[in-house]
Amino acid sequence: MPDLTRILLGSVFGCYLLAVLLYLLALGRTGPATGRAALVLVSGGFLLQSACLAQRWWSAGYLPVTNLFATQFFFSWALAATFLYFELRYRIKAAGLFVILLNLLLLGSALPRDPKIPPLIPSLDTPLFTLHIGFSFFGYAFFAMAFSLGVLFLIQQRRPTPLLPPLAELRRLNEEAIFLGFCLFSFCMLWGSLWAYLAWGFYFSWNIKAFWSFIVWLFYAGMCHAKFVRRWQGTGYAWLSIAGFGVVLFTYLGIGLLMASNHPLD
Amino acid sequence: MNALPPPPLRTRLWALCTSLKAAIVLASLATLLAMGGSLVIHFNPQLFGDLDQRTLGSWLAANLPGHPFRAGWLVLLTVLMVLLAGNTLCCFFDWLFRLRARWRKLGEYLLHLGFLLIVTGYLWGSVAGDRSSGNQLREGETVPLSGKPGWYLRLDRFEAVPGPGGRPVDMRSSVTLLHGDQPEKSATIRINHPLLWEDLVILPESFGRSPSGFRFLAAGGRSIDLGPGTVARIARGVELQVLDFYPDSVVDGAGRTLRRGETLVDPALRLALVKADGTRWTGWYRLRTGVPAELAGLGLDLQPREPLFQTFTVLTINRDPGARLALSGAAAMLLGTTLALVSFYRKRRLGDRPSIT
Ligand code: HEM
Repeated sequence: MPDLTRILLGSVFGCYLLAVLLYLLALGRTGPATGRAALVLVSGGFLLQSACLAQRWWSAGYLPVTNLFATQFFFSWALAATFLYFELRYRIKAAGLFVILLNLLLLGSALPRDPKIPPLIPSLDTPLFTLHIGFSFFGYAFFAMAFSLGVLFLIQQRRPTPLLPPLAELRRLNEEAIFLGFCLFSFCMLWGSLWAYLAWGFYFSWNIKAFWSFIVWLFYAGMCHAKFVRRWQGTGYAWLSIAGFGVVLFTYLGIGLLMASNHPLD
Repeated sequence: MNALPPPPLRTRLWALCTSLKAAIVLASLATLLAMGGSLVIHFNPQLFGDLDQRTLGSWLAANLPGHPFRAGWLVLLTVLMVLLAGNTLCCFFDWLFRLRARWRKLGEYLLHLGFLLIVTGYLWGSVAGDRSSGNQLREGETVPLSGKPGWYLRLDRFEAVPGPGGRPVDMRSSVTLLHGDQPEKSATIRINHPLLWEDLVILPESFGRSPSGFRFLAAGGRSIDLGPGTVARIARGVELQVLDFYPDSVVDGAGRTLRRGETLVDPALRLALVKADGTRWTGWYRLRTGVPAELAGLGLDLQPREPLFQTFTVLTINRDPGARLALSGAAAMLLGTTLALVSFYRKRRLGDRPSIT
């Protein structure tokens, strides 16, 4: 089975890589066919990746997100889903390029790792874990999309280009990504807190990873309101989206790399 | 032109309490403070290491006086969260007065109410709850529950569950919660499956083994296990009772045998010999020193063979009176967020946004 997984993974990576190249090409020559071909490739890659995830889930008997390979794989899948959600809904094209690039980076760095699924230890053997992790990566994926839209808002503002959606549209999409991401991340926090209460006897932990997750949540809660304040709309919101994703990256990667934590997934 | 008179103080105060900008400022300050505070925690593990093992209230009471600068930010963060919750409460009331016109925002109301309940529940638990870890229990043993006079916890059975490689991966403790001597609730607790009862949450933490007695070789090659509570009828109507067992003992200047530790170093058994005529001898058998003359005199040449061990479970017993409130807050927030999420596009289509500040 690992061979099948490797073949599937290689094909998924190939699809996303080609899609990125085509999107970049479409940036140069605005041919609609190139963009459409890129979308077909992302969709194909996503379907294959979904099949791979389903097969791994089925054979493990639980959502396999218990080691670095598996979390990178799942995060990459959530990013692709988020990209497709925006692309199919709004045809954002280049506006989602960063998300697909990030996806490629994640999947690329996961490929050399061992895809073997470790046996599930009892502390992770609960549906609360699946809900907690699933929602956390979807929240992160929407925050990544908001980051991408924020960066492109600033680019469009400084060097207007017909290749990107108009400013008003970018602003609206950015606000949408933040709101949806916040809702999904709230689910992650709520299920995680319930899990912590049943596993540790308290629902709010000061351990560095859990605490930074709270910081991420509070930051985006503030952002959900900042869009109602005229001064923060548009440019300010774009910068906040960029800063917010920095906080997300630190929580997901930085803490693991720089600091020791006793979070169950470190 | 006539300038409008400034609104009354009451109106201005209410406007501040329900101000969206105030909410943003408070949330931003709390975020920045928490970021800085997390570094203080990280670089002071000796101070903050037990923050999760205690309620925030008891931790602050113990550490704030000695470390006002390093621990003070936690007080500030609590104040900011209380202010944010107060702000949310005011906004919530402000909306409630106009609920009929704004039923479409039910999701947002529930979400905000949820946050309020969670913060209140957390503060309540931080002040009135307590956390106790490292509670060791052996099978049949009963411990009183701190903060709940008259309540006890008994361990009925313990089993370490081995994984595929033989290493233990889970711990099953069958426990009974007693009110006086009346059983109130029994449950088998294991990882992720605690015993929940009113404000109590009882869960497995770890387990261990401790020496509980010794196996001896008696006359005729018979082996006999002796530990506290053992009663054995031995030769010529004499009863041998084991009163106590010390894994490590020491004799003080006055000749008294004392317990020195829990590791097997110099084990000793306190024995009683009760004869049929009612006469009784009690004394220590220090295994390294040799069989006491009283036993040898009865022909009881008990030679120590191997130690006996008893497994104990280590439980966490936390009491959090605010947990139920926080749980209802979580339910409100879950429902509210779901409603806000599913109604998002409809509201956006209708241009349903609060007026811009
Ligand atoms: C940490 C606590 C809070 C959280 C997590 C929170 C979360 C949210 C969320 C997710 C929204 C929906 C945003 C959207 O529709 O795009 C929202 C809307 C709103 N919140 Fe909060 N909020 C909090 C505190 C507050 C406070 C203290 C106030 C009062 C000033 C407030 C006032 C509002 C208002 C006026 C709206 C807009 C409602 C509408 O669409 O009509 N929030 N909040």
